[in-house]
Amino acid sequence: MAISNTLNRTRSVGSRKSFDRGFQIICLLVASLAIVILVMLVTAILFKGGGWLSWGFLVNSHRENLPEQSGVGQAIIGSLVVCLICGLAAMPIGIATAVFLEEYQPLSRLGRLLHGFIQLNVSNLAGVPSIVYGILGVTAFVYMFGWFGQIQANKPPPVEMGASYFYQTKTLGKKWVQFPASDRTKQVFVIESSLSAFNESGQPIELNVIDRSATAPTEPELRDRTVYAGATASILATKRPWYFHLPFSKSVLSAGLTLALVILPIVIIAAQEAIRAVPSSLREAAYGLGANKWQVVSTTVLPSALPGIMTGAILAMSRAIGEAAPLLAVMGGVISTTNSLGNLMDKSPVLPVTIYRWAQDENPAFENLAAAAIIVLLVFLLLMNSIAILVRNRAERKYA
Amino acid sequence: MASGDFLDLSKLPQRSTVASQRWSSLMTIVLVVCSLISVLTTLGIIAMLVYEASGFFANDQIRLSRFFTDTKWTVGQTQGEIHYGILPLLSGTLRITAIAMLIALPLGVITAVYLSEFASKRVRSILKPALEVLAGIPTVVLGYFAMVFITPYVLQPLGDFKTFNAAAAGIAVGILCLPLVTSLAEDALRAVPRSLREGALGLGATRFETTVKVVLPAALSGIIAAFLLALARAIGETMVVALAAGSTPTWTLDPRLQSQTMAGYIVNTFQSESVVPGSLSYYSIYSVAAVLFVITFGITVLGQYIRRRFREVYN
Repeated sequence: MAISNTLNRTRSVGSRKSFDRGFQIICLLVASLAIVILVMLVTAILFKGGGWLSWGFLVNSHRENLPEQSGVGQAIIGSLVVCLICGLAAMPIGIATAVFLEEYQPLSRLGRLLHGFIQLNVSNLAGVPSIVYGILGVTAFVYMFGWFGQIQANKPPPVEMGASYFYQTKTLGKKWVQFPASDRTKQVFVIESSLSAFNESGQPIELNVIDRSATAPTEPELRDRTVYAGATASILATKRPWYFHLPFSKSVLSAGLTLALVILPIVIIAAQEAIRAVPSSLREAAYGLGANKWQVVSTTVLPSALPGIMTGAILAMSRAIGEAAPLLAVMGGVISTTNSLGNLMDKSPVLPVTIYRWAQDENPAFENLAAAAIIVLLVFLLLMNSIAILVRNRAERKYA
Repeated sequence: MASGDFLDLSKLPQRSTVASQRWSSLMTIVLVVCSLISVLTTLGIIAMLVYEASGFFANDQIRLSRFFTDTKWTVGQTQGEIHYGILPLLSGTLRITAIAMLIALPLGVITAVYLSEFASKRVRSILKPALEVLAGIPTVVLGYFAMVFITPYVLQPLGDFKTFNAAAAGIAVGILCLPLVTSLAEDALRAVPRSLREGALGLGATRFETTVKVVLPAALSGIIAAFLLALARAIGETMVVALAAGSTPTWTLDPRLQSQTMAGYIVNTFQSESVVPGSLSYYSIYSVAAVLFVITFGITVLGQYIRRRFREVYN
């Protein structure tokens, strides 16, 4: 065999031994390359971005051509909201799948086939590139396969709730008045006759409509609620925090759900490992006390697997917060918005996309800002990983 | 909660046995439905790609044969005749993937050998976390590193590398795959039974000889699986190539030139915000994504299959 060939060679034991030592040293050098790369990466980023970190950087939002006044305020909030949605969607589904795969071994042939197929599917899904999930997110959440029609510019979405539409116009007294819109699809309303409306302080008033040829009233109170016939009022939407429409369009909700699909396989695999680590004696004790399947799972397996599940889930979320490709697909390269995030249907910049856009900006100062944004992102990752380690250590102490 | 009160009966909902049986069956159904979401995701991806990519080929200007043979890709560019050959995108992907694998595979396997065969506990306790941190670095950060550090400070002193080039992106993707290769290869090496090593050492082989002639061949299938899974990861990698490899598809072997990949094309097209459902560039995304998905999914399935099989050998 191979070994005897080696031993039969005429090389002396000494040269073989020194060769062995040389090999170990080469191995050590190669292995420490990972540390060298890590140090270079962190140094390069601190060097480029360190000087740009300030309180203003953390709270401001992006300003075109004004790197000194730009910041990651909106992006931090956007990233946290998207990550929260992602976690809320991925964790229950992921844990449920893991429980099904680990605790419910089916007895029938068909059941076993389904079981094996789901397991195979989960491990293969983990290898699908995140950009493909991004495209799925665009199709399934942004456009919803076209089932609800398309959202067009200047038109309200086909299905929505939590929004009220008003027409707004200026009176002769230069005051704004609003009145409820009867038809939300019409952009402009032409006022022909008197109607009830609200003034700027929200009190109900009766809109006074006069003919163009008539003389305008001089009394201030009346002037403030008088318009000429044929005056136009433009539409205005007030959106509640729970504002919601179908399809989801390019929104933080679409983004969060897409990221949930990306991390779902990771959550499932981590939760499976945590559940597998629960000693079977605990299950048997619970069964022995007369608990049924779900009682065993909910009172015994899940509580003792919870720290492991949480550790895996937090690590999966730290993967999600750094993902840029699916978010670029789902929300586009949005880098700043005029309104702050008010409901789940809004777009928002997020940290990884902001880094990407700044790195590509023609103004070289933004390249340094991108490094500063990377530092912020890495701090978030560090925090999440520390929490994960903390949870793991506390659990180890408890069940040791 | 102390480990004693796992089955605190007072915390259980007070239901009759029949009611709690019913509740249990209901929860089984809920769990099955949740499990089916992951299956639905796969089916959704496949159905979407087939349906929308067929929309691309339903266009009169587009023929399937040209898609696989034309060596130019100009979809999304406004001037001139439209070329829609996937070969430049495919070759760009393969160029970057090849560079990445040339880096990740040898470095990863040697690191894994060191960790499983030689490293002392102390060295291990430094190396393992470093690799885990490297694995957790977001890809957009590595893309940025390739753009602002690898290209100007490592490559451009060596030769005529363009601002955006395949080599820098390939190196960064290699760095990205390194922890993955290391951890999978280490698993494979650790699965080799001690008795094989002891046998070789007992016959008088040095540790180097044991490693190269006994342990590595025994772990070969696991290392091949590691290679395949890292390959799939490299082919689908998006942000590194979007930042460091440029946005021009090229049909060349020169690593100094720009090199748009399939994933890079998809993300550049989305970013341009010109993607309206029904437009040619919208459909082209799906046709490119379909090719990307078939390649990565195929490699992943093969890699997982080999990994599963090799695990059984020694268990």
